[in-house]
Amino acid sequence: MTLDLALDVNGLQKAFGDVRAIDGLDLTVAAGQVHGLVGPNGAGKTTLLRILFGLVAPDAGTVSLLGHEPAEAGERPTEGVGGFVEEPRFYPYLTARRNLELMADLDGGGDTRIDEVLSTVRLDDQADRKVGGFSSGMRQRLGLAASLLRRPRLLLLDEPTVGLDPTGARDMLSVVKTLSADGVTVIVSSHNMSELEGVCDGVTVMRDGRSVWHGSMERLRAESPAPAHHLETTDDVRATELAKSDRRLEIVADPGGWLTVSADREVLDAYVVALGKAGIAVRRLELLMTALESMFFSLTGERADPVPAAREPDEIPAAR
Amino acid sequence: MTMGAAAVTVADAPRERAGVGAVYRVEIAKIRAQLLPRAAAVICVLAPFAFTIFINTQSSVPADSLFGRWVQSSGFATPFVLLGFAGIAGFPLLASVVAGDIFASEDRQSTWKTVLTRSCSRGQIFVGKTLAAMTFSVVMVALLGASSTIAGMLVVGRQPLVGLSGALLDQTHAITLIVQSYALALAPTLAFTCLAILFSVATRNSMAGVIGAPVVALLMVGLSLMGGGVVIRSILLTSPFEAWHGLQIPSATSKAIWIGLLVSLAYGALSLIVAWRSFRRRDFAGDGQAPFRWSTVGRAVVATVVLVAILLVGTLLSKTWITSSHLEASVSETVGNLIVVQQEILGRALDPAAVKVYPYCKRESVISGTSSGPADDWTCQVFVDGPHVSRLAADYSIAVRPDGCYTADAPASLVGPLHMKTPDGGTTINPLSAFDSCMIPP
Repeated sequence: MTLDLALDVNGLQKAFGDVRAIDGLDLTVAAGQVHGLVGPNGAGKTTLLRILFGLVAPDAGTVSLLGHEPAEAGERPTEGVGGFVEEPRFYPYLTARRNLELMADLDGGGDTRIDEVLSTVRLDDQADRKVGGFSSGMRQRLGLAASLLRRPRLLLLDEPTVGLDPTGARDMLSVVKTLSADGVTVIVSSHNMSELEGVCDGVTVMRDGRSVWHGSMERLRAESPAPAHHLETTDDVRATELAKSDRRLEIVADPGGWLTVSADREVLDAYVVALGKAGIAVRRLELLMTALESMFFSLTGERADPVPAAREPDEIPAAR
Repeated sequence: MTMGAAAVTVADAPRERAGVGAVYRVEIAKIRAQLLPRAAAVICVLAPFAFTIFINTQSSVPADSLFGRWVQSSGFATPFVLLGFAGIAGFPLLASVVAGDIFASEDRQSTWKTVLTRSCSRGQIFVGKTLAAMTFSVVMVALLGASSTIAGMLVVGRQPLVGLSGALLDQTHAITLIVQSYALALAPTLAFTCLAILFSVATRNSMAGVIGAPVVALLMVGLSLMGGGVVIRSILLTSPFEAWHGLQIPSATSKAIWIGLLVSLAYGALSLIVAWRSFRRRDFAGDGQAPFRWSTVGRAVVATVVLVAILLVGTLLSKTWITSSHLEASVSETVGNLIVVQQEILGRALDPAAVKVYPYCKRESVISGTSSGPADDWTCQVFVDGPHVSRLAADYSIAVRPDGCYTADAPASLVGPLHMKTPDGGTTINPLSAFDSCMIPP
């Protein structure tokens, strides 16, 4: 039996009291793809994953996972579906290895791949430590290890890089790519569009429990507005005038005292060169948001953080 | 499993399915790894030894407890004394250590999402956890029973024990009764285990789960101490903890035991049904333990007060089954047996059928009318006729407890001193000077 769709969600609804967490969501994910679920906090990503795992019963709608329709919350989770929702948690008084052994028991037992999955997530040297002493990032990696024990064909990962250092996040996404190359369908939720950019084949942007954009990553890139940068020069007035001569550039004076420039990379490169030729030094040029982030913010109605935080700066040295 | 880039081949190799057994094994492994259950097991093993050693260094004995006056005379008294204590709130507390936490701990540790996303259904998880909690309760009862028996035998000795009917219990008979008595205590202990599971599921809070069932037990003990009739006592879950009394009284029917089993079954089944309905329908939409809410506590307190008030009114209005005729029947049987035991100690064989006992019991505070109810002002004038004991008369002061058990003491001038000499020159307790027994509810 072959499947075209690993996930098929139709008309899904879920409310908690007066809050409509999922509001008529339709979503399909092709088998073998890495699909991103993106949205701000409260968009319904985690609730959707909880419904897919059977932790929460939907009020209405249908869900098909790997061709199976889970009868209702409380039934045995669909075979071949693994992953975690929110930060993975384990029994703190047991070691990582013992936790995985118990998880393997709950999957039918006899799994001899514990060392293998621990090695995959680079926890093999911590296997005999009690999980109570683990950092958030280590628990995240252990969560992935526990998910891999189920030999998933559909992997659901909720914010998998939260709590991980840059190396850990890169490793996590690398594992996702490897699994995808092996044919595993992966659905990754995140509120950070840029981290999914190099991983996902497709993406669904969620807001208020609904899908506001769904399609391939290529299409998203094509439809995305230009990336935005913060710009500080030795003469912002002349820099603004110079920008206005090129219609492909959009420049706005920020109340904070700098300029916000939106343009594609090639246009921006040409503009920076032009500034130099005009005798205007660039003191600071900093990526405010990528093209995908710009798209994300326009789709979700979120506002960009005025000060980029926790991101590797895409800066050029200040020209003096 | 072969997968392409755009299609997944779903023909998996068959995999062993996880079930209740897997959940049970996992839960047992978790229980064994946790500090509190291990501490409870250690306490069950060591506490009887500590109790026995302590009590045997004291000049007095807990004479107001069944078999309390025998704890320095026979090692077989220790498990019965501890069984009496444990039935008040000890077994409910031991049962709650695991059962009250086994569901709520998953909330506390936010591990529900980890467990529920494996290959077991909620039903299998519920049953597996329940069986594991019950296993722990059974092991605790068995440990306490075995440890108290061994402690008594090692510290005090294997002397015969005078049972509740006044008959002498040799080693084999005493051990058999101990095993049977602790086995009977399993039924209400398991029911309290189910009640603790209900608290654990419903409150999603470990503290509430662990203390809920013992608090219920203490409330029920409080209600039972207020006396009351057979019906109210019968529906209290603490009453089956007293069912073992009937094992030692030949004239007792097995009715009390069956009622105890049925009441335990009813409490257990009802608790599990409600717990399962709550667990099955639950949305696991967030992490962490249920927050402490005064409104929830307030509702629980109001519900408890209403329930206790109803039972209290029922208790106070219902007619007591403890009457002078019941007490006289019990005293007659017990004293008859005690006289046979006493004469055997003195080296005189006596046919029990030849001993006639005529008791007349009343409460000192009752001037006219029928004496009834639990109280410590009962007196029984006992006239005995038979070989070697012709025209023996004794006045016993008797304290009757709401559960129908009583302790009886007689002045030495009438029945002889507390200690008496045996034909071989030794000293032993005069069984007629004081004794414990129980009336069995009709």
